[in-house]
This record gives sequence, structure tokens and C-alpha cells, in this order.
Amino acid sequence: MSLIDPENTIPEARSPFSEAWEMFRGNTAAMIALVILCLIVLGAIFGPYLYPTDPFDMVWAPFSPPGADGFILGTDYLGRDLLAALIHGARVSIIIGLAAAAVSILIGVTVGALAGFYKGWVEELLMRITEFFQVLPTLLFSMVIVALFGASLPMITFAIGVVSWTAVARITRSEFLRIRELEYVMASRASGATNAKLMFRVILPNALPPIIVQAALMVGSAILFEAGLSFLGLTDPNVVSWGQVIGSNRQYILDASYTVTIPGLAIFITVLCISLVGDGLNDALNPKLRSR
Amino acid sequence: MKAETLLKVENMTVRFAVKRGRGFGKNAHLHAVDDVSFTVKCGETLAIVGESGSGKTTTALAVARLVNSYKGKVLLGDTDLLALGDEDLRQARARVQFIFQDPYSSLNPRLRASDIVREPMDSLGDMSEAEKSERVDFLFNAVGLRPEQQRLFPHQFSGGQRQRIGIARALATQPELIICDEPVSALDVAVQAQILNLLRKLQKDFGLTYLFISHDLGVVQHMCDSIAVMYMGKIVEHGSRLDIFNAPQHPYTRALLSAVPSVDKARRAQTKRILIPGDPPDPVNLPAGCRFANRCPVVQDICRRDEPELRNGVACHFPNAEL
Amino acid sequence: MALLSVKNLRIEIKTRAGVAPVIDDLSFDLDAGESLSFVGESGCGKSMTALALMGLLPEGVGSVASGSITFDGEDLTQASEARLRALRGNDISMIFQEPMTSLNPLYTVGEQIAEVLRAHQGLSRKQAWDQAVELLDAVRIPNARARAEDYPFQMSGGQRQRVMIAIALACQPKILIADEPTTALDVTVQAQIFDLLQDMRRQTGSAIILITHDMGAVAEMAERMIVMYAGRKAELGPVDTIIAHPRHPYTAGLISCVPHILSTLTSEREDLVEVPGIVPALQDFGKDLCLFASRCRHAQPKCVNQRPPEIAFGNTHQAACWRAEEL
Ligand SMILES: Nc1ncnc2c1ncn2[C@@H]1O[C@H](COP(=O)(O)OP(=O)(O)OP(=O)(O)O)[C@@H](O)[C@H]1O
Ligand SMILES: Nc1ncnc2c1ncn2[C@@H]1O[C@H](COP(=O)(O)OP(=O)(O)OP(=O)(O)O)[C@@H](O)[C@H]1O
Ligand SMILES: [Mg+2]
Ligand SMILES: [Mg+2]
Repeated sequence: MSLIDPENTIPEARSPFSEAWEMFRGNTAAMIALVILCLIVLGAIFGPYLYPTDPFDMVWAPFSPPGADGFILGTDYLGRDLLAALIHGARVSIIIGLAAAAVSILIGVTVGALAGFYKGWVEELLMRITEFFQVLPTLLFSMVIVALFGASLPMITFAIGVVSWTAVARITRSEFLRIRELEYVMASRASGATNAKLMFRVILPNALPPIIVQAALMVGSAILFEAGLSFLGLTDPNVVSWGQVIGSNRQYILDASYTVTIPGLAIFITVLCISLVGDGLNDALNPKLRSR
Repeated sequence: MKAETLLKVENMTVRFAVKRGRGFGKNAHLHAVDDVSFTVKCGETLAIVGESGSGKTTTALAVARLVNSYKGKVLLGDTDLLALGDEDLRQARARVQFIFQDPYSSLNPRLRASDIVREPMDSLGDMSEAEKSERVDFLFNAVGLRPEQQRLFPHQFSGGQRQRIGIARALATQPELIICDEPVSALDVAVQAQILNLLRKLQKDFGLTYLFISHDLGVVQHMCDSIAVMYMGKIVEHGSRLDIFNAPQHPYTRALLSAVPSVDKARRAQTKRILIPGDPPDPVNLPAGCRFANRCPVVQDICRRDEPELRNGVACHFPNAEL
Repeated sequence: MALLSVKNLRIEIKTRAGVAPVIDDLSFDLDAGESLSFVGESGCGKSMTALALMGLLPEGVGSVASGSITFDGEDLTQASEARLRALRGNDISMIFQEPMTSLNPLYTVGEQIAEVLRAHQGLSRKQAWDQAVELLDAVRIPNARARAEDYPFQMSGGQRQRVMIAIALACQPKILIADEPTTALDVTVQAQIFDLLQDMRRQTGSAIILITHDMGAVAEMAERMIVMYAGRKAELGPVDTIIAHPRHPYTAGLISCVPHILSTLTSEREDLVEVPGIVPALQDFGKDLCLFASRCRHAQPKCVNQRPPEIAFGNTHQAACWRAEEL
């Protein structure tokens, strides 16, 4: 006897996040991108131990093209090993990307959450501040910060974070405005939840999906941003990063284009993978595509 | 047995500031609930009915102090809820709980069913973990859900089951008053019957008091002991179930009742449809006099001049007029 | 001959789990000027039926797998898109549930009605506008000439639904399909819309297909009704006959699970009759058994082994239940 009774079959308990992961796994492009990203991150962590050549050492004649003389990616204008620069630079690029994204998420979520939760004058004030930061020319502003306070890594990270949090703030605020009117928030309030609990335990977890997507994309754009600053020479000359490699070789862009293209390609692949993963996350976390 | 009064609302007014037009100048106010008084007896159900925008939800939210009232009193037993300070209010929330309309947005999608039911006990009261778990088990059983379902997330339930979870959550703190805001209007008819029967059974078993909001007069008729009919933020008629349904006095109540389609042939034959053409007035610029005057079939000059008071359960200058 | 005749219609829909029949072996006739009602719970395929009649099945998702829809001697399942477009809004038109979103917010309501008239009847701008005003007047919008210049957001829900009715009736269609036209509206407004639809039917002779889940509305509005369950026709027959004596347990459940207002109310209140459970999931729709069996008080082993046949009671009333005769 086969009775159909959808109410009485007990499914396995699956959280919205585990369902999202299921969905994400079905997305081939995003999965491939995720694998490549993992490889890049592993390379950044362990690469320097496996390939300990110092990227600042002049190891060979300058402008040795890739493949020649035993240097897989060749050497730059000072005869430094490009492969070493790529491997050692990955750490800094990725750390700056993550840290800058973290800074902007922290600022953006705080501002957006307060503005969306409290409304009224708090919202007005915070949103005016957000708009102020939004209309600042980002590159110029970060250049000013770096120029004023010095081109150390933390300062660069901070500069990138400070100019890019506005998008997060706007997303967070609009999610908060939407979710705070939902009945389950009202229900928590009716059963005595404090404001802090409402904000951080009830609303924020539900506002996360678009913030996560934005965060992923932000890591990519922070890497690009750092590359841009480095290209302009606004970087710590004692630390190697992909952008710094491009920046230091920029005069030879026509004579030895590989010195610029190779790190450029590394940035391109990393950022592309990050946006593919971001897109995949977006599809997986977007409730409209998921059946209720 | 004469039941004692549990909830007494006196002259409650709720108003919202609304922006009208451009530029600065004084903000206009929308009186969503205007000088409303009613009582609910212990163990009974008072229904509030009315059309969309008449202020039913706002009344309910104001009673639970989920929106702020402009003036008035909400006496629950001897405490005036509107006069409580923050921490007292938080504690008092255990005594009034809410059941919401939309089974999809009323449960936090990130929590397991058991955690949703447990949440009020976490925020309020001082039960031990073991006691809480025991109470969750008990509540799941009481609302007709199975223990294995406690671990599931809201999206894994049907609409009716979600509403059961919402009911279990409302019962968690053993509240004295439960406010049900259209608890079944988002559900399919068959599921509606399941939930209505459950609400009545719980009322019988636990002696609950309901403030029941609905626009469906059939449901109201089935659930309540007395009824308050609202129109544009005012109670136009307030009486017992039998009085309102068998002998409605206010022309609006009569029009409302006559508009309900019925499967009962006898009722269709004997009720004359009372049409109330036109729209309700603009809630921000209310006219002088009776708010129903512009649609009332028996309107007279005095209706446009003087606002009728609620007297003998009806707020009309000419109750029982020939329609 | 009937105006519209649907024979063994099967509509399949692609889901993640495979292909499932949202409409399974549906047959019915509709006479000119008749009013027929579809009732059933959510997800039973009522709107799908309406969309199929309009040739508006969701593209790439749903399609007619077999069966025919004969309108005025023409099989609509075979008709070209151009032909369907000519019929839509002209011979068959539809009112949707949501009066808020089914009007274009960027045009005045008058323009939207006139647009339909110009497209289908080739009227001039001026003629179309005049007729649009007349139609607004006919659907009892006070001060129609002025209100025709209003945008949808300037009207109340009930007025918008009237505008929708005016658009649907603009070309005097032979069939008007109303998919839950009053669900979003207050009862007093619903009563006015129902009155209006009845009057319009009398005046224009359009047949009306009313989709609803409210038995009271069916009793008030329709002559015949079809009860749908999980994509299948559970019962078909004259409204009065079915309400007085439903043959399918699902119909009986639908009628008695709703608390009705009776002519005189007494202090007695019985518990409502419950139909336990919910409608099965779409992927189970095609199974060869009675899909209602798991919710049915009268289920027997036979019910879960084989799909019940349609049993006829006289020549107007049929019920698809193994035990229809005993119940
Ligand atoms: N937060 C708010 N700000 C401004 N106006 C509001 C607010 N909440 C409600 N209103 C207005 O108050 C009036 C009453 O609304 P309320 O939601 O109480 O009606 P209701 O009777 O519950 O209607 P429904 O049947 O549609 O739920 C309406 O005119 C509404 O527009
Ligand atoms: N575009 C679509 N894609 C996939 N499935 C669909 C689509 N539209 C409807 N369905 C499915 O088809 C089935 C029948 O839907 P239909 O809209 O006809 O139901 P209904 O009887 O009109 O219900 P309601 O009372 O909720 O309007 C449902 O299970 C629904 O999930
Ligand atoms: Mg409401
Ligand atoms: Mg539908």
C-alpha cells in the first residue's frame, strides 16, 4: 500500500545553509573556481616553504624570459626570480584582500545595522555619513590616506577598507529594514528579547546571505585596489605583492611584457575565481530560487 | 458563572505621524485607533472584525505594546501595560503572547522548530534547561506535532504545521492573554479547520483567553464569545456573538453580514444585500461626524455633524433603522 | 454544441524531480452564457487550467501533453500563437487575483482600457477613449470621465479590480475567466464585484469561469461547479445538487470544514469537520491511485491501488470516487 502523505514523512533536518551548500555544489563553474581558489590559498600558505628563494634576491641576469636558464617564469629588471615573487606575493595580496574586506564589512555592517534597526535620526545621520563616503573619489581618497600616514600594509588595508564599506552598509541597512518588519522579529520582541538580541541574534543572521556575497566580491576588488595602489607606487617597497611586482616593472611593460602580464594574470585568475564563487553563493543563498 | 475581566482597554488611541505633501510644515497624524474601549473576560474570546485598514492589527499590537499608544489604558488584571517601564514591560510580555497571520514570515528561518518554541522561555522566566526541554516536548504534543519534528527547520514544514509551531511558541510562557491576528487567513480552508479546532481545544484545555482578529465573519462566528466591529479606527458595535449575528444594529455591521456569501440556501433567500457604495474616507482627513456617513444608507444631517458615541453596544444615531 | 469543450486534457510540468501532470485527464463542457466554478485547495491546478484555456502556460515549464480544448469548433491546443493572441482579450479574457500588480502603473486606467479596444477592435483613439469611459461607468466607477485619467495607484483595490473587469469585458468576450478575483478584497467589496459580474453576464451573455476556494462564493455565483483535487476532477455537477449532497468525500470536506454563517445562529458550536493532512506534492500527482486516499475517512485498500473512475449520477453529476454511490 503506498499512501501519499507529505505531512507525515519526516525529512532529515536541513538548515537553510546546508541546502545552500547543496545548491552551490550543483554549480560547476563556481565549484571549479572554488577549487582553484583553494589551490591558490594553499600555494600562498605553503609555497614559500617549498620554494624558499627570496623574491628580493638578485639571482640571475635581468630580463631572462620565462623558461630560459632554469627560471620557470624568468627574471625581472633586477634579475629577481618572478616565480618567487608570485609565490611570496600571493600571501600579501590575499591577506590584504581578506583584511580589507573584513574592515569594510565590520564598518559597513555596524553602520548599516544601526541605521536599519533604529531608524529615525540615527538612520538619517548614519546614512548622510555613508553618502559622504560614497561620493568621495575612492582612489584619490585612499591615496591621500596612504600618502598622509605612510604606506605600511596595515595602513593600505585600512585605506582600502575605509573607502569601500558604503556598499555593505547600504545592503545591511536595507536587509535590516526589510527583516525588522517580519513577524518573527515581532514575535521575538513580544517574548521579551532585548534590542541587542534582536539586532545580532535574530536579524543579523538572516541578513547575512547578501552580505556574504558582497564580502566575497569585496575580497576580489580589494586585491585589485591594492594592485592599483602598488602600480602607482603607493605601497610598502619592502613587501612583495602581485601589485607591487607589476608596479616595479611598469617601466619595462613594452620591452619585457611578461614581467607585468604574469603577475597580472595571477590577479586576474584569482579575482575571476572569487567573483565566480561570489556568483555561485548568490544563486545558492538567494531564497527566490529555492523552493519554500 | 460570571467570568471576571482579564483585559480592559480604556480610551486607547494610536496615531502614526504621516508625511503629507512636500516640504516642511506640521506632520499630519493618522489615527489608526481612535478612542477605543473594550473588555475581554477570562477564558473567553473577543473577536475584532472589520475591513482592511480599520485598525484591527494596530489595536492588537498596541494592546501587546508592540506599537506605542498615544493615550489610553490597557489593564491586564490590575497592571496598566502602557505605564510599565522597560524592564517591567519585558517581564510582563510573558503574560501576553501573539499568534501571527503569515506562517511563512512568522518563524525565524535560521532556527530549529524546538528553538523557536523555546525562545520565549530563554528570554523570559527562569526555567532550567531540562524544564525547558520538557515544556517544548509538552507543547509539541499539545499542538499536534511529533517529537521527531523538533529538529527540523521552518521551511521543512507545511503552512498549517508552521502555524502550529507559532501557536506552541505563543503558549510557551503560559500567557494569560493570547492575541491571534488573522491566524488562519493565510491557510487553505481544510488546514484552517484544523487550526481553528486546535485553538478551541487549547482554550478548553488550558483556559486560555483570546483576542481574536479576523475579517472572516464565518470564522469569527465560530470562534468568539463577543465581538467588536471596527470601522476606520472606531468600534461601531460591540456585543455578544448571538446579538451581533442575529440582531445587528449598526448599518455597517448589517452591511458586512449581508455581504458574506453563504452556502445556506435559506440564509441567501432571507438576507437582502445591503450595498455600501463608495470608499471609506481618507484616514488622515477624517470628516466631522460619523465616519460611516458617506456610505451609510440611512444617513441623516445629524450624522454628518455629530460623532455618535458607543452607547448600548452601538455607535450610531439611528441604530436599527429600516434599511 | 458547447461553447467550450475540454477533453481528456493533460498538462505536464517539469519539476526538479521529473515531469508531473498538474492537470490530469480533465474533461468538461461550458455552454454560452453559463457560469461555472472551479473550487479546490491551493496547488490543485485551478490556475493552471485557466492558463491552459488562455494559451498562457508558463513557457518552458508547462505544456499540453494530450487532450484537446475546443472553443467554437477550433482546437486551441493546435492553434498558432498569433491566433491565440487574437482570441485572448477578445473572445476569452481573464481577470487575475492581484488587482495591485496586474495593471501597468505607468498608464492611466483609461488608456489601458482604450489600448485593448484599439488592438482588438481597431477603434480610433477618440472612439476607444469614449468607450473606455463608458466601460468604467458600466463597472460603476463613479464619475467615470474624470477617473479615466487616474493612474492605478490612485484607486483602491476594489476599484482596480473593477478596472480589470472593464478591460476583460471591453471586447465582450464569450468567456470571462476570473481567477480568485476577490481574494485580496474586503467582503463588502467582494459582494459588489460579484453583483457586477452577475449583471455583466446578464447584459453581455458572456460565460463566466470563476476560480475560488470559497464554497459560499460558488453557491452565490455559479450554476455548475468542478471540484479539483491534485490536478484531477474530483466532482462535477450543479452547485445546488452538490452542496445538498456531495458525492466525493473531498467535496464534503470542503463544504463542512468551513464555519458558515447560518440563517439563525444558536449558542451551540460543534467542532469543525477536519480534513487532515495537505494536498500531495506535485511529483506525486501522476500516481495510479486515489490521491485523496491518505486524507479520506472512507478510504479502502482499493483506493490506494487504483485510480477511481468517474461515476455518473444522472447526466449532469459525476464524482471520481470508488465509494461515491454509497456516500
Ligand atoms: N506603521 C504605520 N505607519 C503609518 N500608518 C500605519 C502603520 N501601521 C498601520 N498604519 C495605518 O493604520 C491604519 C490601520 O491599519 P491596520 O494594519 O491596523 O489595519 P487592519 O484592520 O489590521 O487591516 P488589515 O485587515 O488589512 O490587516 C491603516 O490606515 C494603515 O495604513
Ligand atoms: N510556473 C510554475 N513552475 C512550476 N510549477 C508551477 C508553476 N506554476 C504552478 N506550478 C505548480 O502547479 C501546481 C498547480 O498550481 P496552480 O497555480 O494551478 O494551483 P491553484 O489551484 O491555482 O492554487 P491557488 O489556489 O494557490 O492559486 C502547483 O503545485 C504549483 O506549485
Ligand atoms: Mg491586519
Ligand atoms: Mg491559483
